[in-house]
Amino acid sequence: MKPAPFAYHAARTVKEAVSLLGEFQDGGRVLAGGQSLVPLMNFRLARPSHLVDINPVEELDYIRRADGVLAIGARTRQAAAERSPLVRDQAPLLAEALGWVGHEPIRHRGTVVGSIAHADPAAEIPAVALALDGEVTALSTRGERTIAAADFFRGPFATALEPRELVTELRLKIWPPGTGYAFLEFARRHGDFAIAGAGVLLHLGPGGVDQAAVVLCGVGDTPVRARRAEERLLGHPPTPEALDEAAEAAVADLTPPGDVHGSPQYRRKVARAYVRRALTLALERARRGGRP
Amino acid sequence: MTAPLSPSPPRRWVGKSIPRIEDPKFLLGRGGYIDDLAVPGMLHAAVVRSPHAHARITRVDVEAARRLPGVVAVVTGAEAATLCNPLPDFGPAPDKHVWRCLAVDKVRYVGEGVAAVVAESRYLAEDGCDLVSVEYEVLPPVVDPIAASQPGAPLVHDALGSNVAYERTFVFGDVERDFAEADLVVRDRLRWHRSGGQPLETVGALAQYDPGTGMLTIYCNSLTFTHFLFMVANTLKIPSNKLDIRPTPAGGSFGSKFWAVKVAVLAGMLARLTGRPVKFIEDRVDNISNCDHHGSDRIYDVELAVMKDGTLRSLKIDVVDDYGAYIQFGTGTHGNSLAQVVGPYRIRSVRYGVHAVLTNKCQQGAHRGFGSEVTNWVVERMVDLAARALAMDPVEIRRRNFIRPDQFPYVIPTGNMYDSGNYDGVLTKALELADYAHWRREQERLRREGRYIGIGVISCQERSVFSATEFWFWFDQPAAKVTSAPESVTLCVDAAGNVTATLYSNAFWGNSPDTVVAQLVAEEFGVDPASVTVVYSGSNRGLPATGPGGSRFTVMIAGAISGAAARIKEKAARIAAHLLEVSVADLEWADGGFRVKGAPTRAKSLAEIALWAHLFKHSLPDDIETGLVADKVYDHPYTTMPSDDRKNLGVFYPFVGNACHIPVVEVDIDTGAVTFLKYVAVHDAGTMVNPRSLEGQIIGGTAHGIGTALLEEYVYDAGGQLLTTSYMDYVIPSSMEVPDVIVGHQETPSPFTVHGIKGGGEGGRMMTPAAVSAAIDDALAPFGVRCNEIPATPERVKARIDAARKEHR
Amino acid sequence: MRDIHRISVTVNGRRYDREVESRKLLVDFLREDLGLVGTHVGCEHGVCGTCTVLLNGESIRSCLTFAVQADGAAIMTVEGLARDGQLHPLQEAFREKQALQCGYCTPGMLLRAYEILQDNPSPRPEDVRKGIASNLCRCTGYQFIIEAILDAASRLRAAGAVPGSARREEVLP
Repeated sequence: MKPAPFAYHAARTVKEAVSLLGEFQDGGRVLAGGQSLVPLMNFRLARPSHLVDINPVEELDYIRRADGVLAIGARTRQAAAERSPLVRDQAPLLAEALGWVGHEPIRHRGTVVGSIAHADPAAEIPAVALALDGEVTALSTRGERTIAAADFFRGPFATALEPRELVTELRLKIWPPGTGYAFLEFARRHGDFAIAGAGVLLHLGPGGVDQAAVVLCGVGDTPVRARRAEERLLGHPPTPEALDEAAEAAVADLTPPGDVHGSPQYRRKVARAYVRRALTLALERARRGGRP
Repeated sequence: MTAPLSPSPPRRWVGKSIPRIEDPKFLLGRGGYIDDLAVPGMLHAAVVRSPHAHARITRVDVEAARRLPGVVAVVTGAEAATLCNPLPDFGPAPDKHVWRCLAVDKVRYVGEGVAAVVAESRYLAEDGCDLVSVEYEVLPPVVDPIAASQPGAPLVHDALGSNVAYERTFVFGDVERDFAEADLVVRDRLRWHRSGGQPLETVGALAQYDPGTGMLTIYCNSLTFTHFLFMVANTLKIPSNKLDIRPTPAGGSFGSKFWAVKVAVLAGMLARLTGRPVKFIEDRVDNISNCDHHGSDRIYDVELAVMKDGTLRSLKIDVVDDYGAYIQFGTGTHGNSLAQVVGPYRIRSVRYGVHAVLTNKCQQGAHRGFGSEVTNWVVERMVDLAARALAMDPVEIRRRNFIRPDQFPYVIPTGNMYDSGNYDGVLTKALELADYAHWRREQERLRREGRYIGIGVISCQERSVFSATEFWFWFDQPAAKVTSAPESVTLCVDAAGNVTATLYSNAFWGNSPDTVVAQLVAEEFGVDPASVTVVYSGSNRGLPATGPGGSRFTVMIAGAISGAAARIKEKAARIAAHLLEVSVADLEWADGGFRVKGAPTRAKSLAEIALWAHLFKHSLPDDIETGLVADKVYDHPYTTMPSDDRKNLGVFYPFVGNACHIPVVEVDIDTGAVTFLKYVAVHDAGTMVNPRSLEGQIIGGTAHGIGTALLEEYVYDAGGQLLTTSYMDYVIPSSMEVPDVIVGHQETPSPFTVHGIKGGGEGGRMMTPAAVSAAIDDALAPFGVRCNEIPATPERVKARIDAARKEHR
Repeated sequence: MRDIHRISVTVNGRRYDREVESRKLLVDFLREDLGLVGTHVGCEHGVCGTCTVLLNGESIRSCLTFAVQADGAAIMTVEGLARDGQLHPLQEAFREKQALQCGYCTPGMLLRAYEILQDNPSPRPEDVRKGIASNLCRCTGYQFIIEAILDAASRLRAAGAVPGSARREEVLP
């Protein structure tokens, strides 16, 4: 299973990468971690005529905090983000979700932003991006634009990006201290694609839940933000009944895909159970002041 | 009953867990696997595979592919059919279900090869494949075996006239009387889906043709049945003594490298065509979709006749087996079933109906257990069903029905024999190791906490060392009543006294043949196993050998080594007698040489004897030839012929071990996921040569069996599309899916084999599906769930839980 | 027209200057261009881990990396474990514990184990079990592999191993 021929271009700077992509348009693809793209190329399901390798673009390897937002550059490895004290402290949902992404050798190469751009509906990081009201910067020779995560994912492996655009940065909103979080996933094997994954953020105030985010992966054409579940939680005390109803609401409108690993009905059942479990764990952590 | 063949204990080397002789090269990355080999001028092949399950090939256009720089040749199925005869086929009607290395008139499954491209690199060969343009007239596929067996179903092979390649019902004993007299009959329909070996290394071959000598040499990681290789030569249209197939170590097989001839034939054909060496290595998609080694794919209707005291009387089994598009081994996998169809129990009669149906899928071949693991599962499912119906403890019902130690050798209703055993001993040991009583208490406690823990207890057979009769006793007038399935060895003691053992089949599948042979040779000659050299011969150097499969290798090579060693010792004794000026009767073998009885200082070591034997012909009696080397072709030591009416199939798989597996599982009732809290496996495979090695295979086999029980399935959709084409969808267990296995051993020697060894390599996998199913049912007993389908994927388990809950409302 | 690039790679401490086609996978480059056949091909889609090597000290799937991307990098393969004919303690432990049967997953498993012990010289059994989930083995059921890795860990601790330090020195020029 060898890839079809392509022309390889190593970019050393963002400017170079963007310029090359502009040159190749539909025939060019970004090579970042390669952990999703190269298997497709080895199967010859993807046959880009040009690969623009951004691995040498050191200037995109960063994790920064600014103005209540965590900014992650496009070259930042999943393993680095998982280990980063900044991520663990400011976006623990991401750190926890990263532990579910494949295996460590994959995370040594795979990038956080690459997972967003690849937009596998079963992937964890896109779901986390939704939960944290993420947005990306897309840069091309035509200029720069910001795309909200909520508008970014269009379908399985389909995004709002144009072929010449390079995502340079992902920004995630930082939640207040004491936020409870949980990311849990069910798969056939440890490290496999999610049959259903659930990410939850809960912040408690005097009246109960004053901020909530519930996201799912593996259960739609894109990652899902379960707004109805969030509505059920907001402004109410987090009783077991409330959590049950929120879990039910999270899956009520789902149209999950079916494949050899799970039918649509099965995915829905698993999703409900996992949202419920994630809510439980997030609540426990919220009650502990946000500590793991 | 014959007297034991082996020297009595204490043994010096047999039974020792020495580190493996073969390991250093593998640890250093110098394993010498097929893809490690390269020769000057070598080309690489790739195969164009069919995207359709069933279609007529109307046009194959290879011009663009041929013109691609770097492509040396492109061969269509039609061209291959002029270069090669059909592949060797042991099915019921090989001239009607004709099997070729590339499809000619139509494709019969997704993945079937349609053309082959040879190029300077594998990359270029695949580029060539992209340029091969095939036009198909799509035909309706048959995917469901029941539908396929109905009249009017589309035919996989038009010439066969039916998709039912074989069907027959066998009756052993008085089934009707036993059922009439029974107090209770339990029934079930059971479904076992196809899975396969999926070793990490695929099948590969490197072929070289020398036009100067006419010799075709093929290196291959499959080389079984060397005495059948004349058939491969016939396929390749060369004289049988112009073919030399040389074995390379295999990176695992689990059955899938058993007689894997197609890859070798493709490489050989392409080497002759191009006049250059050609390497063809299956990629993973080839090995999943086009491997010719999918496992059993069965639908069972079973009835078990039982007395109210728990005595198991009789079994009626009717099984539809979906063989896929070809049937290369006939219904041999059912022979494996019939070898041990009553399990370890005194069941008195069996009716066995088999329907072998062809469909548009990759064909079956061998998968660790070769069909007997399925019957193990079926029998244990029925015993548990009977236990439930009688409200009897699953341990108790088994104990009540075990064949007793004083009843061996025991002939089962089919005519096969179990040579020896102590099934209660194995079960008792397993219960102890599992701390069974403790876990029953834990189960109760955890149930009150809302957790679903289950304990499975099963006892199943692990037959070893097949006879060739199981491939033809299906027919009243078989085409060829083959009765040879030998293993051979040549032992040579050189002039320096060092021993070399030559093997004649691809014996290395991960099963430690070098170590086992070294230990057995060491036992014979009193040398250090580390001093023994083991070499693997190509097929044209003569001795016939079957190779691993059916857990036969250790037993058979032990017999061969014993026989060759005896010949060497006989000659050595004559030489020693001559040198010591005594008669042979005055000598005894001791401490690695011959010594005069009563005068132990008058001795000659094997090394001394060898030196004389190699160099000093004229100093020895006239009739002694120079050298100290002996061959032994060891045939199956205990086979009897089937009766003409086939009411008795004879003895064909007599060295039968037994095992008890006790898993403790937890089932997550929200997802149907099964996790392991404990796993105990006690095996009795007779005398162990290298206990650590056997343990490794038991643990590995159990992990493999967990894959079968919970994870693995080749899934075809209703249109015959293969949905599991990669390791993302065909999921084999990682370290996180399998538990630590606590292994216990019992050794009940065989009375018929050298050292009393029985085969044990397949055993782990042969037990696990039965054990895990039992544990799942036990965990979900409050719901009354019955695990009647393998694999018990989380979705299937969850569906059964929900269905049972709905019923209870 | 094939897209050829000049690369310079250090493998097991030795530098190689070669020309490669851009699409050539790192695993094929190591095996075919450099003759280092210890790294094996299992699935070519990043699932089995048989092709594991260390790239700049970190384990990667060499079937998912192009050789051209390894320009300037330091790679360690199984051939780099033994030194002057002496087996690495991991290799010795694998042999003693019979942690291999067919040996095909072994090179990748050894390198992953090497990395696990670099990161954590005193792992618990469950840490090892989880760490090697990245590498499939069809023969052993993993148990003896875990035993071997734990055994090697104690040997390395006894010899004064320090986390992280050895790796960089060994693989960088």
